[in-house]
Amino acid sequence: MSSSTKFLTLKTNDKEEFVLDEAIAIRSQTIKNMVEDDCVSNVIPLPNVDSKTMIKVIEYWKKHSEEGISKDKLMDFDKAFVKVDQSILYALILAANFLNDAEMLDMICQEVANRIKGKTPEEIRKEFNIENDFTPEEEEEIRNENVWAFE
Amino acid sequence: MDYFGLMPEDCLSEILSFTSPEDTARLSTSSRGFNFAAESDVVWEKFLPSDYQNIISKSKSLMASPSMKQLYFSLCDSPILTDGGKMSFSLDKKTGKKCFMVSARELAISWSDTPHYWSWSSHPDSRFSEVANLRFVCWLDMRGKIETRLLSKRTNYVAYLVFKLKSGYYGLETANTFVRFVDRESDNEAEERASVVSLSTQEEHGENRSKRRDNGWLEIEMGKFFNDAGEDGDVEARLMEVRRLSAKGGLIVQGIEFRPE
Repeated sequence: MSSSTKFLTLKTNDKEEFVLDEAIAIRSQTIKNMVEDDCVSNVIPLPNVDSKTMIKVIEYWKKHSEEGISKDKLMDFDKAFVKVDQSILYALILAANFLNDAEMLDMICQEVANRIKGKTPEEIRKEFNIENDFTPEEEEEIRNENVWAFE
Repeated sequence: MDYFGLMPEDCLSEILSFTSPEDTARLSTSSRGFNFAAESDVVWEKFLPSDYQNIISKSKSLMASPSMKQLYFSLCDSPILTDGGKMSFSLDKKTGKKCFMVSARELAISWSDTPHYWSWSSHPDSRFSEVANLRFVCWLDMRGKIETRLLSKRTNYVAYLVFKLKSGYYGLETANTFVRFVDRESDNEAEERASVVSLSTQEEHGENRSKRRDNGWLEIEMGKFFNDAGEDGDVEARLMEVRRLSAKGGLIVQGIEFRPE
């Protein structure tokens, strides 16, 4: 490791600290902006991310920063990475959104989209515990507006 | 737990943008949160073709839309004229893929420059300024082409002849149709695999019959093709009846439409 490697300390909302190569951490546009604006003290607080999620994020960042890694290997990695429970995907979306990592956010949104594609509203509500909070009148109106999508 | 209910709306919109227009419309009926997220410009701009601005800029017939969703549905429901009215452009509602209709004036129609055989007129139900009226021919042959680079990639397309029949039409019971990539296949090769269709709505002539569409127009399938990367040059659809040389008349042609299957 060259002597010019800089390290950042990231602190999650459950008080865990992660020491990370700056070159990797700036995959997060949020962190990159902080570094560029020179407003980085010793520790960067991440109030919206817990340690369990941060471990996944760092795993992703490190793999995607490996030098000379093939596209196929990355695709295999991504495929396995998103094969997790929806609670973890949800936490990753919030983290990627806060950290402003468009690449990771897109990949996870794509996975969630794949899980909801082709399903009926009833199936989606059941599978994802979504509450139908429409009044019957509202539901009928919205159903009529979108009737073409049910044909 | 209802994770979608807890998610910020822009994340929900981001997820919807990775589904399809059809999925988004269906999901918008599942909860208020989804319904709200399904209004977002982020979602509908992603469903528009990547070159939509370029296409719209070539048209004079589009009104300004206050939102991407309105623009999307406007392009689905009201085709716009492009290229000086030579073609129309619209979107397939369920997929957001591109549809084009080539106007009759841009088709190559045998004898269409002879007023005794074909005449040109405006038509109240046509999107184009002129339609072609078949008065009388024995030799019926028309073809229209479009550049594959204009069409949506990796998409199965179907070409349709869009027409009306005047009362008392005749001689339109059978015709041959085929679609070919102009640079890859000769007319003669393609003709060997032509389908036999019937423009007539009355008689029974197999399965390849015309179907009704809006405003009293009819359409008949001319053939299918797969547009891979849009690098196949021109694709041409042709309809001809030059074997049975009995008289034919009473046909009004609006154009040839290329739209996703």
